[in-house]
Amino acid sequence: MKKPFLKLAIIAISLSPVWAADDLKLPFNLDKLAERATESVDVTLDQSTLQLASGFLSKDDPDEVQVKKMIGKLKGIYVRSFEFDKEGQYSMSDVQALRAQLKGPNWSRIVGVKSIKGENTEVYLLKNGDQIGGIVVLDAEPKELTIVHVDGSISPDELSRLGGHMGIPEFSKEKKKAKKDHASDAKEDEQDESER
Amino acid sequence: MGALLTATTSITTTREGQASLPPFASVVEGHKAMVYSIAWQFLHDRVAADELAQDVFLQLHKNWASIQSPAHLLFWLRKVATHRAIDAARKRKSKAETSLEEADEPTVLERVHDSFLASYLKRMVASLPEKQRSVIILRYQEEMELEEIAKVLSMNVSTVKTQISRALELLRGKVSRRLGKENVL
Amino acid sequence: MTPFEEDLKQALKRQEPAGDFTARVLERCAQEDAKKRNGFWHGFWTAPAWRLGAVTAALVLVAGGTAYEQHEREVKREARGMEAKRQLILAMRIAGTKLQEVQQRVKESEQIEQ
Repeated sequence: MKKPFLKLAIIAISLSPVWAADDLKLPFNLDKLAERATESVDVTLDQSTLQLASGFLSKDDPDEVQVKKMIGKLKGIYVRSFEFDKEGQYSMSDVQALRAQLKGPNWSRIVGVKSIKGENTEVYLLKNGDQIGGIVVLDAEPKELTIVHVDGSISPDELSRLGGHMGIPEFSKEKKKAKKDHASDAKEDEQDESER
Repeated sequence: MGALLTATTSITTTREGQASLPPFASVVEGHKAMVYSIAWQFLHDRVAADELAQDVFLQLHKNWASIQSPAHLLFWLRKVATHRAIDAARKRKSKAETSLEEADEPTVLERVHDSFLASYLKRMVASLPEKQRSVIILRYQEEMELEEIAKVLSMNVSTVKTQISRALELLRGKVSRRLGKENVL
Repeated sequence: MTPFEEDLKQALKRQEPAGDFTARVLERCAQEDAKKRNGFWHGFWTAPAWRLGAVTAALVLVAGGTAYEQHEREVKREARGMEAKRQLILAMRIAGTKLQEVQQRVKESEQIEQ
């Protein structure tokens, strides 16, 4: 299966000097990975920046309205993503310090999927009593490493429901859509030919 | 003392008019399609149209204090965008006045997303003389009234009417000859 | 409007510029403001004929505040806000996509096991 992968330009913008949430520190040696990466994304949005961004979300765009509701409960969003031109440019020891923190008492691993292609994805939840206090997605592929940390009260389901919106693929419908697009493109080409 | 009061008064007036305007970023976001499209209709070059549109908003930023109301803002943007686009198109004369026969064939993307007629109409509008092109764009893209078009282009209303009817006659003639469509209304 | 004019209207529909247009405009405006600030004071103090009138004008401006400075602050805030929004949307896309991929892989591994 061809993996969908977002083509990400190098964005080295940090809108806040704070790198991570209170009880989770992104290992600084991840910056070394950016030097080896062909493309990388570095997003750091603390609570005040999220509030600033929220003020600029459109009330008329249903996707942005949904995002606004979600981020109202969040303290921060942190993304580090690296794409490499060949395998072996990073190892799991590069993210071992992060994984060690995710073994803490309040963190639970809810998903761990390994594939024969060498893709290794884990999802962790931070529990604050009965509430969810954060999510970490750790996606390690042969030529890509992505770490997403959403700090605050949000469930994986809420994030998943963004599928099909804002340019996020919705995998259950992707195959059907691909077939439909192909059929309608073929029909339009036939019509164009007959008009000439 | 009189000058002092006058200066104070003019600042106050500007503030009251300004108060009804949305924030600058919202103005850019809300009107970028309009300004960009006007530029594109004259230049038919995405990069050049983007740059021109940016220049228009930069000029707006510099003249922000002189904008009196949302209606004035709209008029100002249309006027400046159109005049800048006309000037830019004159400088790129060979590209802007390419005849239909010399124009590139529609790209695959245009064929998929535009109807064949729409593609041709765009090219025919691009081949119109400057004044006719301007009135057609303001009338049919911006859906402006004749009086508004006259103000933006500094023409008489009767001149605007004449230019529109000449342009439509030219376009209809080209459509019926080129695409074999009869009784084009 | 005649059918032909409707066709013309349809053909001349507005188009959107590239996605980050607003952010680019705001950045340029901020750069212009910075240039202006650096240039203005240099000219002000080396033009003696302006000084009397400048003092009067300055009193008026200080007394009433300056619409321009307020506007400048607002533009900067808006530039930061638009950039923050862009980064937020990017982060949500990445997070949403990764979770979708995880769900897909879980489904596939369940199907293999069955």
